[in-house]
Amino acid sequence: MEIARKAQAGTMQSSDLMVFLEPADDLRIEIDSTVKKQFEHLIKGQVEKVLAELSVTAGYIKISDRGALDYAIAARLETAIRRASSQEGA
Amino acid sequence: MVVRLINKFDQRKARELIESNGFKYEEKFDALFGVFENGELVATAARDYNIFKMICIRDSHQGGGLLGELITELINSCAYSNIENFFVFTKPDRCLSFQHLNFTPLVKHPKLCLLEYGHGLQKYLDGYQELVKPGRNGAVVVNCNPFTRGHQYLIEQAAAQVDQLYVFVVREDRSIFPFEVRYRLTREGTAHIPNVTVLDTSDYAISQVTFPGYFLKRDDDQQLIQMEVDLELFGRHIAPFFNIEKRFIGTEPYCRTTRIYSETMHKVLALYNVETVQLDRVARGDQPISAFRVREALKGEAFETLNELVPATTLNFLRSVQARELLHTLKNYQRRH
Repeated sequence: MEIARKAQAGTMQSSDLMVFLEPADDLRIEIDSTVKKQFEHLIKGQVEKVLAELSVTAGYIKISDRGALDYAIAARLETAIRRASSQEGA
Repeated sequence: MVVRLINKFDQRKARELIESNGFKYEEKFDALFGVFENGELVATAARDYNIFKMICIRDSHQGGGLLGELITELINSCAYSNIENFFVFTKPDRCLSFQHLNFTPLVKHPKLCLLEYGHGLQKYLDGYQELVKPGRNGAVVVNCNPFTRGHQYLIEQAAAQVDQLYVFVVREDRSIFPFEVRYRLTREGTAHIPNVTVLDTSDYAISQVTFPGYFLKRDDDQQLIQMEVDLELFGRHIAPFFNIEKRFIGTEPYCRTTRIYSETMHKVLALYNVETVQLDRVARGDQPISAFRVREALKGEAFETLNELVPATTLNFLRSVQARELLHTLKNYQRRH
């Protein structure tokens, strides 16, 4: 899927995250997290996994995390990507 | 659930909640949100362009998820308006609550904290990485509404005292001349000075207009605190990045706000090893040149006088078709700055 426009998903509640997407020529992932020191590598791993599954190769991906679990990260990111893609119905 | 407070009745409830917490209610906002429980308003928050303010949660509902819910709505409303950088001013004891929401503290002042969401400041500075020159550099922060011979003289004098002079043009558009015009005329009017770089302050010059003072006490000098925060931001983050050791300012004999600003500048910037240098203004007739005088002359379409007050680059613009519309606005405009 392609990030064709700006989109976002999620909330700033504890144990949740917000995902912000913008179109870009290359792939850039930026992670902010209250548990960045401990878990940044795991959050990044999960983000990259979802991007690979949905074959997203370019875009500016901004994550603002408040200690979300893996499946929350996957769900929020997928929602945001579907909203950002040119297809309707996310 | 967070809802928009649109009608007068709900907004009055928000005012009651805010005032019962000892804060001031400010009429100026783009969006006001609230949370109701059993018909009672228990929390409220507002956004004024890129500033989050009047965030109040009833004592009985503190410590839960309400702050997160309110902030989510505020962030979403920014995204819909294409606002990239947003800020919150808060009391120092609330700073940590916002840091837990991924806000980054920019300034910690004894009376308040300024935080931003994301890393806008770092990105702003990174964008100028190539323009950073080694050496003993200087800075001026100008509005240039519009660019005058006075600005030109100040910049020439300042540039002669440093290796590189950074001229920051205030981005915020609360002036008659829009930022694009002010920026362009500043570039054109300084093009002949080799060691001058003209930059944009982006959101990192705090203006009186955007500064919310609702959580300050009545006897706090709101204007002074705003200046101190603005200068802290400059001294702590901007000056070290550009190797700025001197900040120049024109002497201002008749505007009280500007005079206090320069006094405060000496005090605050000294803490960051930045020297404040006052330069005398250049005069035409028996008065110093000021943008205010230019605007007055422009109202009267006194082009002879204008020729004395502004450089040719600015004068060309003032005579252009694009300027006609601004001139029309100016004639119906009464503010000092």
